[in-house]
Amino acid sequence: MLFNIDLLATAIALLTFFGISALMALSLNLEYGIAGIPNFGQALFVSLGAYTAGWTYTRLLPLLAGNAAIPPCGSTLGQALQLRSVIMKTLPVVGLANFAITLVIAMVIGGIVGYLASYPALRLREEWYLGLVLLVGSEIVRIIVRGYAPLICGNNGLSGIAQPFHWIGNSTLSSLLFAVLVLTMAGLAYLYCERLVRSPYGRLLKAMRENDQVAASLGKNVARIRGQVMVIGSAIAALAGVFFVVNSGYASTNDYVVALTLDMWVMVVLGGLGNNRGALLGALLITLLDRATAITAIQLNTLGVNWEFNYVRYILFGIILLLMLRYRPQGLLPEPTQTTQAHEALQASSQ
Amino acid sequence: MLELQNVSKSFDNLRAVDGVSLTVPRGQIIGLIGPNGSGKSTLLSLIAGNQQPSGGRVLFDGHDITRHSADQVFNAGLVRSFQDPSLFFRMNVLDNALLPVKKQRGEQPSQAPLHRTWRAEEQKNATTASTVLDQVRLQTHHAKLAADLSGGQMKLLELGRSLMGAPKLLLLDEPTAGVAPALAYTIFEQIEHLRRTQNLTFLIIEHRLEILFDFVDSLYVMHLGKVIAQGSPDQIADDQTVREVYFGE
Repeated sequence: MLFNIDLLATAIALLTFFGISALMALSLNLEYGIAGIPNFGQALFVSLGAYTAGWTYTRLLPLLAGNAAIPPCGSTLGQALQLRSVIMKTLPVVGLANFAITLVIAMVIGGIVGYLASYPALRLREEWYLGLVLLVGSEIVRIIVRGYAPLICGNNGLSGIAQPFHWIGNSTLSSLLFAVLVLTMAGLAYLYCERLVRSPYGRLLKAMRENDQVAASLGKNVARIRGQVMVIGSAIAALAGVFFVVNSGYASTNDYVVALTLDMWVMVVLGGLGNNRGALLGALLITLLDRATAITAIQLNTLGVNWEFNYVRYILFGIILLLMLRYRPQGLLPEPTQTTQAHEALQASSQ
Repeated sequence: MLELQNVSKSFDNLRAVDGVSLTVPRGQIIGLIGPNGSGKSTLLSLIAGNQQPSGGRVLFDGHDITRHSADQVFNAGLVRSFQDPSLFFRMNVLDNALLPVKKQRGEQPSQAPLHRTWRAEEQKNATTASTVLDQVRLQTHHAKLAADLSGGQMKLLELGRSLMGAPKLLLLDEPTAGVAPALAYTIFEQIEHLRRTQNLTFLIIEHRLEILFDFVDSLYVMHLGKVIAQGSPDQIADDQTVREVYFGE
């Protein structure tokens, strides 16, 4: 313990946050960094994972455990919360199965909504309109969910969304296992994105990013390809959303405001647009900065300083974004110029 | 092979293309000339699906392609180049050349992460691209960024890239713009060679009439959105209306 900080728990929390941020950053990097789709509504697709978890934990989980679902809000809130808690503590297989199903449903919903939300705007000639449509769409959905109680109890939010290793009595061990799971998924998402980028599909996305009109003149159906990218990127974002909400244990529409989208943009711009490793580096640095400001805020409060240090992070993120765009727009790790395996293939054939 | 019937395009009160009819027979090189602002590039965009005509019909290989999108027109075998170099400048020469290849397995999002499923096809395409780049004298520039090429090399890469799309007809918008005279002649020799060896058809907009007249089978002349003359290079050179438009004689 150092200044009342549990170093092991902090390290585990950092790794978990990093994994979740990495998933979000990889998703945005694929959409904007590689394919040039300015998704200013990324928080919406992350929130879909949270809303899905809100639904599965309150409806599906009791059913899987052989119980009837209890309305999660209003007068039965306490009863429903207790039922969730008991199932997650005593029926590990049910808890794990529910979590796995949540991930799959969230990715499917994320993909579908990603396509539907962007469908009209994808046909616009000016892709920045798409960014604005997504930004507005993100806020509209958030406000609707906030006013629609049955999903995550509206404005009150929904607690008791326990992580899948909750049944392990040792909280450090269960948190560590969850961190490993998050990092594994982030690692798989990285490998997937990297292989996508180094394929002819990656070449196609970069061409579309650079000049969509010329890409269309070379036989590429730009609207369809943008739709595909939104499906893939939104599915990854929704996956991140499930981990995000399960990690905090609480689903609230207040977590999916425009500031979350801004966080992801800072990660990608800082790390290097179009570079998956850059996205990981950006996610790591922003996670460290985010946690450092959060811990400092707690320490200052403990010392009796009556000043909300948490908001310093927004100032820092804004400064980072401005400085990077002004002095190093290519990011800390610039995009590599050789994008596909065509050169290696050519060399192999000439030998 | 390509037939335009009374094609027109209006922007508010301006008729950029006004009832143009022309025919491009298979295996021929047809020139399209006219002063700046006469509607030539707009006409090319209407044929290629980059813009939709206000009226008239575009027939290609017997099919009506009037309202087809740019990608559909390309996939029908009609490939265009642009007036300004329209390469993917942040990509290297080889990747630029590989992009137009049709039906690439690795361009399917379901197959792309599974490199084993498309590696052999990519190798075959890269070998073909290498041969095409050799033809357009870019054999030593595969790994260069397109942005690092000279103006003439950019035009050559555009030509090579068009060939990778397995075209039946090429619409070339000023293929020698910004190119040194000697290289400009070489580009047209290459075009002539492609016509002869691969039976390709060309519709070419070009301002360098002294070169164009040496290679085309016939010409259309446009002025203020209309075709004002048509004929062989000799006929066009002697046409009084054309001389008035070009030289004010």
